[in-house]
Amino acid sequence: MMMMLRRLLRKRWVLGVVFGLSLIYFLTSTFKQEERTIKDRTLLEVRDSDHRIPWKVRFNLGNSSRQITQCRNSIQGKTLLTDELGYVCERNDLLVNGCCNVNAPSTRQYICKSCLANGCCSIYEYCVSCCLQPDKQPLLERFLNRAAEGFSNLFTAVEDHFELCLAKCRTSSQSVQHENTYRNPQAKYCYGESPPELLPI
Amino acid sequence: MLLLVWMCTLFGMMGVVGTEQEARAKPESGPSPVLTQESNCTQLTLKLEFSSKVVEHEYIVAFNGYFSTKARSLYISTALRNAGGGLEWHIVPRENPASDFPSDFELVHIRQASPSSLLTLEDHPYIKRVTPQRKVFRSLKYVPSSEVAAPCNNTETEKWQSWQSSRPFRRTSLSLGSGFWHATGRHSSRRLLRAIPRHVAQILQADVLWQMGHTGSGVKVAVFDTGLSEKHPHFKNVKERTNWTNEKTLDDGLGHGTFVAGVIASMRECQGFAPDAELHIFKVFTNNQVSYTSWFLDAFNYAILKKIDVLNLSIGGPDFMDHPFVDKVWELTANRVIMVSAIGNDGPLYGTLNNPADQMDVIGVGGIDFEDNIARFSSRGMTTWELPGGYGRVKPDIVTYGSGVRGSGMKEGCRSLSGTSVASPVVAGAVTLLASTVVNRQLVNPASMKQALIASARRLPGVNMFEQGHGKLDLIRAYQILNSYRPQASLSPSYIDLTECPYMWPYCSQPIYYGGMPTIVNVTILNGMGVTGRIVDKPIWQPYLPQNGDHIDVALSYSPVLWPWVGYLAVSISVAKKAASWEGIAQGHVMVTVASPAENDSEVDGELTSTVKLPIKVKIVPTPPRSKRVLWDQYHNLRYPPGYFPRDNLRMKNDPLDWNGDHIHTNFRDMYQHLRSMGYFVEVLGAPITCFDASQYGTLLMVDSEEEYFPEEITKLRRDIDNGLSLIIFSDWYNTSVMRRVKFYDENTRQWWMPDTGGANVPALNELISVWGMAFSDGLYEGDFTLADHDMYYASGCSIARFPEDGIVIAKNLKDQGLEVLQQETAVVEAVPILGLYQTPSDGGGRIALYGDSNCIDDSHRQKGAVSELLTECSLCTKQTKKKFVYLCFSDCFWLLDALLQYTSYSMTLPSLSHSHSRVAPPTGLEKPLPQRLEGNHLYRYSKVLEAHLGDPKPRPLPACPHLSWAKPQPLMKLHLVTYGSTRSCCQWIWTKWLCRM
Repeated sequence: MMMMLRRLLRKRWVLGVVFGLSLIYFLTSTFKQEERTIKDRTLLEVRDSDHRIPWKVRFNLGNSSRQITQCRNSIQGKTLLTDELGYVCERNDLLVNGCCNVNAPSTRQYICKSCLANGCCSIYEYCVSCCLQPDKQPLLERFLNRAAEGFSNLFTAVEDHFELCLAKCRTSSQSVQHENTYRNPQAKYCYGESPPELLPI
Repeated sequence: MLLLVWMCTLFGMMGVVGTEQEARAKPESGPSPVLTQESNCTQLTLKLEFSSKVVEHEYIVAFNGYFSTKARSLYISTALRNAGGGLEWHIVPRENPASDFPSDFELVHIRQASPSSLLTLEDHPYIKRVTPQRKVFRSLKYVPSSEVAAPCNNTETEKWQSWQSSRPFRRTSLSLGSGFWHATGRHSSRRLLRAIPRHVAQILQADVLWQMGHTGSGVKVAVFDTGLSEKHPHFKNVKERTNWTNEKTLDDGLGHGTFVAGVIASMRECQGFAPDAELHIFKVFTNNQVSYTSWFLDAFNYAILKKIDVLNLSIGGPDFMDHPFVDKVWELTANRVIMVSAIGNDGPLYGTLNNPADQMDVIGVGGIDFEDNIARFSSRGMTTWELPGGYGRVKPDIVTYGSGVRGSGMKEGCRSLSGTSVASPVVAGAVTLLASTVVNRQLVNPASMKQALIASARRLPGVNMFEQGHGKLDLIRAYQILNSYRPQASLSPSYIDLTECPYMWPYCSQPIYYGGMPTIVNVTILNGMGVTGRIVDKPIWQPYLPQNGDHIDVALSYSPVLWPWVGYLAVSISVAKKAASWEGIAQGHVMVTVASPAENDSEVDGELTSTVKLPIKVKIVPTPPRSKRVLWDQYHNLRYPPGYFPRDNLRMKNDPLDWNGDHIHTNFRDMYQHLRSMGYFVEVLGAPITCFDASQYGTLLMVDSEEEYFPEEITKLRRDIDNGLSLIIFSDWYNTSVMRRVKFYDENTRQWWMPDTGGANVPALNELISVWGMAFSDGLYEGDFTLADHDMYYASGCSIARFPEDGIVIAKNLKDQGLEVLQQETAVVEAVPILGLYQTPSDGGGRIALYGDSNCIDDSHRQKGAVSELLTECSLCTKQTKKKFVYLCFSDCFWLLDALLQYTSYSMTLPSLSHSHSRVAPPTGLEKPLPQRLEGNHLYRYSKVLEAHLGDPKPRPLPACPHLSWAKPQPLMKLHLVTYGSTRSCCQWIWTKWLCRM
């Protein structure tokens, strides 16, 4: 038995087949890995319509005049805040209920100050406010439909227009180049579909 | 373009278990020896004490030879049968791996053993002797013999590992250190501490809060780590697991994430702090320890959306200039997420703090062992963001158990791990538990939690604030403070007492005097009142006139906006001219008022304010003579981040970046301590050479400078030296071929990293010293030699290429390391000029000393580097090379620095140098061109001197020298009782006062 095996192994064609199979395995696995890496790096660019994320955002169609007693707001700002009605105000002009004081002179609604044409802004609060404009809804829906799996965690958990804008405007994996540098340090908060413009280092 | 090194720390259980068994297998007895380490490392004395007690009824029966278990039992029963009946006895089973093998003794339990029965036992031909069983107690004590306590007991293998995603995982090289390296060292004390329960939650008295019904319920805690398996038996409230990596599993394949989650929230076996907390598991590391900033960014965004309360990050890296990451951490804090992070495992070297734990808004946690010693691995030293112009902040914030802590195993059960990765979840768990005790959760925010932790922390004796922060976590006191908390501002450190040693090291190590560079204390303001705040008007400086407060000037700079929840207050202290020859203590205080917009106030425009007092106490001495004053050039030291500045020792391949700050209080700490002990006063120049009064200083010390020089600096230095200033330069290698060779591909940033200088910037240095006919070469040499009866090691240094002919030059035979790096060939070069001494010819002119290698005065190469090198080298090395490496790891050349300072300050030349047989004729350097800058280097990106230009980069215009505006004093006449001091921190005082008011 052993002798047979040994003799078989000595045959050139057997060795050839073994080698060929190994080569094929090697090539396919290498190729697969490469493909996977490329896929990983371009999560947003994947335009695979089969992989729609089950988003459940409720847009309050242009219903900004509704009366609410409590507002959520963007919490984090150094000087500015945006409330869920799209008003941007100074921290000092925030009412106890979390809404901006609409009577304060500097308070503005749906303001796109510092935002570029590509939907990227240099100030987070203005990005959120701009994104809350009712006419941004189609754009956001388009984005949600195309947002790939990489962002499914985030955008399936988002429940309404305001949460979506808060989340969308934050810097993310789409905001960086070489991992530790902003693509565009000036306009890095984007409500739009495209990542910030890539500036050379 | 910057490298992000994520270091996650996973701790070799193998190592720990190994040592424990080792200790068990070798019971020692006898007198109590006092082990002291090698002569140049006497700082730590190990005191070993033994006591013993007879164990009743148990006897050790020793045989004449080795017999099997069966044979031994037979012999004993035969012998005891002869002793007569009625004797109750049995053999005490010993269950250890050795029991399968023949042994020469047996442990026997004999009831009512009479001396005669023992004698009959001894009559048996194969039994040698019978002795009562004794129980030996050992106690280990470490006695630091002086404050200096330079941690140099390096012979021990570090039992932890760090992972760096851009480089191969170092598990094999670090965890399997042979017993040889375990011989000494602080950690070895752990072997004998098996009796101490290591249930860290109980040690910290979490059970007191559990009994009050607080178990973390209602608090969302996020663990950013390697994941967690779905059905782990230890966890009851895993709310969600999410994956942010490119791996297709949520499970933990390493055990790191499980352990961390267990310390926070395990409910059985090894209990965590908050078993009822809502756990959110974020897998951000693959099982191959890969992670990217972009994964973190997306995961962090999700954590904000989910309104996480406490977030543990047992990770860290040196890149505090990774702006997307740092900004994101601020954003999290601004969204009320309490960030807890490990300070790093790069100790005992100073200047090793990891990001994000080094951020003001993050709770940075260091590690201690169960004997309250700072764990050797715990990173320490000031933050280095502020260099060269400013001074670092105090970090870590607090310390807690991080050595041999028990936590959940990967699938089940418990295991023991060490590292600041372990200390961080201890604090995160405690924070979670604490948050659940507060009725009004609105009061819990990143600032108030940090205030409560640091105000309640227990200070460890004999440890400075750059190692322990505010001290050891005290859960119960933190609970008390937090539950009577009212929003307010506080300071860290809460007082400035520059006389308090060792806590206020390095401030206490050198008194201040008129004409010295201002002493800067970088205080962090914590503002529990709101995410944004501001300082009202200006802080006020109030000197105490009866306590000579008018003898000092104080300048204050501070954050224009305190965000998120934090800001800085930098206090610069100088001595007033009238105290130029005065000696004594001066005191006063600074008052700061912080205001935040009120969030829960009924009125609009309401503001909360809080006023904090910062007491200041300093020691003033008369200005020392010029010859005693040494100025350290910090301005021309560049480091990582932002750029790739390679290590000065090319053998250190594991950690190729120069990232410790190159400051006298970070990786040149030992050198600083040495100079202080020799009576020198060392100051730091954080500005261009044009910005100091050279007539005040004896010697300018430039070590391993990477920066370029402004033309004005070069001119000024020449003038200064003509007027009597002396200069010592410790250079390093610069070889363009080697620089090209040490480039590497960084997985994190997906690009090639090419160094922008060598170990030092030799071409720039040569421009600085060319007027005296001096230059360094681009040679690269390594080797050991003897100089003036001292053993020396030259690690990747350059040689002197050009030197004036009336100077003294010392040459040695060294290995050409350049050839080794480039062609893997070994060649010895004869008579390499390495040291040069020169007296400038002008009347009263200064002296210049050059040396080609800086490694022997740099702690980072004398400790950690040596250790890691030992580890990589030792897989294939003989005992002799091991010994050599250990030896080299200890060898410093402070004696040489002394000799050079003797020469530059007092014009005294060590005869063994000037009359050395190694003295050679100064090289003229004409045969070879001098080194040129690496073509296409990107130094201008990181340089303060160069700027990009068409063609070659050009120097920028010389910046203005820093100017301090002294605060206008508002003196106080009344005598102040000083309530702070070494025994009690002011912060505690403020808190108690405030608590009393409640």
